[in-house]
Amino acid sequence: MNELLLVLPPLIFALGGVVLLMVDLAIPRERKSLTAGMAAVVSAAAALCAILQWGLAGSGFQGMISVDGVALALDALVGVIGVMTIGLSLRYNALRGILRGEFFVLMLFSLSGMALIGHAANLLTIFLAIELLSIPLYVLSGIARPRLDSEESAMKYFLLGAFASGFLVFGMALVYGATGQLSLTGIARTLITSTSVPLLVVGAALMLVGLGFKVAAAPFHMWTPDVYQGAPTTVTAFMSTATKAAGFVALLRVFGVALGDLANVWQPAFAALSALTMMIGNLGALTQINLKRMLAYSSIAHAGYLLMGLAAGGVSGVRGVVFYLPAYAAASLAAFAAMTAAHNGEEDQSISAYAGLSRTRPGWALVMAVAMLSLLGIPPTAGFVGKYMLFQSAIDVGLVPLAVIGVLTSVVSGYYYLRVIVTMYFEAPPEGVAVTKGNRLSLHWVTGAIAAAASIVLGILPAPLINAVTAGVTSIR
Amino acid sequence: MQMLILLPILLPLAGMLINAAFGARLGHRTVGAIATTAVAAAFALSVYFFAQVAGAPDHAVSGNFGPWINVAELEVPYGFRIDALSATMMLIITGIGGLIHLYSIGYMKGDPRTQRFFVYLNLFVASMLTLVMADNFLLLFVGWELVGLCSYLLIGFWFSNIKNAEAGRKAFVVNRIGDVAFVLGVLLIFATFGALGFKEVFEKAEHLKPESAGVLTVITLLLFGGATGKSAQLPLYVWLPDAMAGPTPVSALIHAATMVTAGIYMLIRSHVLLEHAPVAMQVIALVGAVTAFMAGFVALTQWDIKKVLAYSTVSQLGFMVAGVGLGALVGAQFHLLTHAFFKALLFLAAGSVIHGMEHLTLTTGRHDSDPQDMRNMGGLRAKMPITTATFIIGGLALAGIPPLAGFWSKDEILAAAARTSPAVLVLLGVTAAFTAFYVGRQIYLVFFGAPRSEAASHAAETAPTMTVPLIVLAALAVLGGLLNLPAGFPAEGWLGHWLESVIGKEPHAPLDLALAGFFVVLAVAAIAFAVSLYRRFVKATQADPLERLGALHGLSFNKWHLDGLYRAVLIKPFYAGASFLARIFDQGGIDGLVNGVGALTRELSVTLRELQTGFVRSYGLITLLGAVAVVAYFLFTLFNGIRP
Amino acid sequence: MQAEFIVFLAVALVAIGAAIGMALSRHALYAAMFLVLNFACVAVMYLLLNAPFLAVAQVTVYTGAIMVLFVFVIMLLGAEKLPAQETRPEMRWQRPLAIGLGAFLLLQVGLALALPGMRAAPEPIDASPLAIGMKLFTTYLFPFEVASVLLLAAMVGAVTLTRKD
Repeated sequence: MNELLLVLPPLIFALGGVVLLMVDLAIPRERKSLTAGMAAVVSAAAALCAILQWGLAGSGFQGMISVDGVALALDALVGVIGVMTIGLSLRYNALRGILRGEFFVLMLFSLSGMALIGHAANLLTIFLAIELLSIPLYVLSGIARPRLDSEESAMKYFLLGAFASGFLVFGMALVYGATGQLSLTGIARTLITSTSVPLLVVGAALMLVGLGFKVAAAPFHMWTPDVYQGAPTTVTAFMSTATKAAGFVALLRVFGVALGDLANVWQPAFAALSALTMMIGNLGALTQINLKRMLAYSSIAHAGYLLMGLAAGGVSGVRGVVFYLPAYAAASLAAFAAMTAAHNGEEDQSISAYAGLSRTRPGWALVMAVAMLSLLGIPPTAGFVGKYMLFQSAIDVGLVPLAVIGVLTSVVSGYYYLRVIVTMYFEAPPEGVAVTKGNRLSLHWVTGAIAAAASIVLGILPAPLINAVTAGVTSIR
Repeated sequence: MQMLILLPILLPLAGMLINAAFGARLGHRTVGAIATTAVAAAFALSVYFFAQVAGAPDHAVSGNFGPWINVAELEVPYGFRIDALSATMMLIITGIGGLIHLYSIGYMKGDPRTQRFFVYLNLFVASMLTLVMADNFLLLFVGWELVGLCSYLLIGFWFSNIKNAEAGRKAFVVNRIGDVAFVLGVLLIFATFGALGFKEVFEKAEHLKPESAGVLTVITLLLFGGATGKSAQLPLYVWLPDAMAGPTPVSALIHAATMVTAGIYMLIRSHVLLEHAPVAMQVIALVGAVTAFMAGFVALTQWDIKKVLAYSTVSQLGFMVAGVGLGALVGAQFHLLTHAFFKALLFLAAGSVIHGMEHLTLTTGRHDSDPQDMRNMGGLRAKMPITTATFIIGGLALAGIPPLAGFWSKDEILAAAARTSPAVLVLLGVTAAFTAFYVGRQIYLVFFGAPRSEAASHAAETAPTMTVPLIVLAALAVLGGLLNLPAGFPAEGWLGHWLESVIGKEPHAPLDLALAGFFVVLAVAAIAFAVSLYRRFVKATQADPLERLGALHGLSFNKWHLDGLYRAVLIKPFYAGASFLARIFDQGGIDGLVNGVGALTRELSVTLRELQTGFVRSYGLITLLGAVAVVAYFLFTLFNGIRP
Repeated sequence: MQAEFIVFLAVALVAIGAAIGMALSRHALYAAMFLVLNFACVAVMYLLLNAPFLAVAQVTVYTGAIMVLFVFVIMLLGAEKLPAQETRPEMRWQRPLAIGLGAFLLLQVGLALALPGMRAAPEPIDASPLAIGMKLFTTYLFPFEVASVLLLAAMVGAVTLTRKD
């Protein structure tokens, strides 16, 4: 019983999913918003539980799981992202006929996998958690069936995801072959005494391939634009924020905890991947005419910035990563919220469709503008504080070229983020679009506004979160 | 007292929030009144703080509002500090800002987007105050970016003209290039000193070992790189002339009096770092002088009334930068001050001229000539007496005619150049002659002679909300020189004494009569030459008399071909590279989903392009390639690490 | 020892051959049969590793139940044969490249295996049904439960994707 407390938040997600699966049977089709509401309650409960458990530390289930500040932070983050995604889903999904009970059940299962990654203390648990987060996502990408783009998105995600999982599990097998250990701390222990570790290193490299795929780091990012574009936008929002957070925590667990003593081997590779990812993400986004696809490349670029924190390592690097994850999530959610709302749910993905949004829908234009500025890292948004922490951590350990690439690529990113703002604010709306005075107070609007407000509040008053993150990072086990 | 220090920022911010939330219901007049009142109140507070600073034992008032970013090694507080330099800047921002707010009420009359205009304008004032009141580099950067943001929004304000949106975007992109340098400079400052607060950094810089001087040079050059963006110096000045596409009050406030001087302010603020980096100082002086010369040369032949002023602004900013580089910090700040007076005046007067020129269009609906083209003007002196008088005062101040403000400040910089660097002196001296020439040309073309278009012959004087600020600014442009008279005059060197607590004691020279006299004669001659040349310019379609200069005229008229050069050398290759990469990784922004799900099982007759083809197998191949590379890299670092 | 190694080598080669055959065959039924062969080879490997229970489970569950289901579905849908596929000329270079890269990756792993370095010490294992059961419900209880949730999620997903609304 005591041990269950250590994995309470993921447990809440999973049990909530199971219970909701059955309850949903009794809910008639036209009232699926009830299911959504319950899923949101479950998600919020898990997040709340994580916050109440703050400070808890320990491990259990024969060393299969553990809990520390980063685990609880991830629980809370994905829980909040879950609630927000559900807030966006109600209207969007209803308009597209995918307001189905399974949508929310699968989301809870995926959330349980994400949360579990934070608690995993064993390669086996990590692998299962990653599959548990991925499989529902494959299905969710394709839930808008029989729309071709959604089906294609799911198919591509599944095939390539399975391919990447192959690398991950092969890498884990090699690591086991080298150390005879699956437990993260066990691997770390064997590393202290050994000097020659080629097999372990190859295993680590293959695990990096598998996990790099999950966080959309180049050159394992190829799936991202297609999958993000084809999936229903609410699923894309969920994927780009929660999955990235979980993937980075997995990288942190495997490389920071288990392979920490090998840092001199993997950190150069992380730095190289970071540079490559920042460049490919930002250059790829530059020429996009499709907003969703542009955001997909932006998501790749941000994986690059986050990798910089891991490449820098140490408390300051990891802290930068853990701070940047919610900062990025808030901005990204705000952008997707505005996207799903801008055209009365009739989603038009081309950037030019947002011309004159500042006049037709000033509220949503503001939300989108704040999101773009935060993604770009203009002070005083959260994106600036996060980027600053990451760049600073890189400079502190002497990775000056990497930080320079980071600053330069974020200048390049200014061009495409700004294009959205220019389109919304400096271009006239298309003929025949009605001007709405103010927004009706809807759940959708509240969600988007909260995400945008969070992007600013976390930039103006980041100190409490930074303190919490610092405490969490120093408690890593 | 602690809280009070925030009020100057909070008041315009409150004005902005009120107008943003309720402006639509309040009506344009009330919106303008609220915005203006907020800035006027901030001005009153600035005066109060000015007095406080004068009375305070350490000549500063500060307030700390807890941590902003606090990670153990990096403590950046919400710290504000008003010292003599900040207080001076605050007076300019809120004083001139208040006048321009007042002017805007008349200028924006009838524009449906007045509310948004004042929201941006108030946000600008709040951000600019943050910039000058911050007590550390990072908080300064917050203001730095926010003023930039307001500037882009206001440049593109009249977006019905596609050129405006483009100018806004250009300003943004160019400024971001400068920001790269600035951010890197700030990161390097932290890496070197372990602090970001001005006080700590400067204290540590004083005690830096001599062998670290190289770092200081790099830091200083990076900070200066930031300044070249914001303060429009070579090679980044190209955004500022285009920025004049925005409404004229914006040009006056943001692109002449305040925001563009942020770079100068930041350099003066960092003077401790500069003093330890003599190489960087020389670079700064030279860049400033060359910018002044190049921009002044371009201003000679422009026809657009605002373009002339825009290039003139770049040129005068070059003067200030050169002053900083020469170590004449007081002179630079003095010129910043007087320039804020007379250039804001010139822009507002130009706006008044444009308004007057549009009078015919507004009353009759006829629209037959460009109201900003000086070829269409002429003889406005009879129709718009107040505008004419104030414009001439501003122009003569700019040309450096005594006893107007510009004479004294420009002379200080020229004198400093004469003392230290002949090359800079020559460049600045030629620029001074250029300045007087284009001032003469502009004044004559606009106000004298006979009207050269119907719009000009039907022009009318503008409303008092617009002319009153003109008169106030004209008074300042006349009297501004009193602020820092040379040694030997009554109340000599007041500004220098006032800034002593910030930048230390600078030697204060008496007026060099030979030098000053030479430049006054030069200026008068240049004006006379311009007048004699343009007396014969009587028809709008006539060629510019300067065209007789041939290639030189072309070089000036086409702005040194810099825009074309940048397009060819930077932008085109950048785009080519980006689209090349895009074609490799993605089909140039075209959906990767073109293939449809069928591509997985059967072939479609869609032309396959490069790699982001939408085909899973291609993606898998890239992943495999990446995997091989990552494994190789891991093995490589492993073996490299093992061998000593 | 020597004999065991020879058996392993043979079985491994067959397993790899079967996997390649499965991937390359254009007839779904053949592919399924190749997969059966592959599973059977894996079962033999379990036997070689002194894990008879796992071997039997492998045969009954995978080779038996699951593959029978596969074959059933294939026959029912009548989707045995894929149309012959002409590789697009622009993509022909991909196949040799993929084979080359795959070989190179194997080479890298082989290198890592060949180099001296840290290895897990072989441990005697008890793979009796009792021992496996004990392990599953003590050491591996948590992953076991996670796997059950995973399977449930996969099931829900499969139903979601195929159900007609």
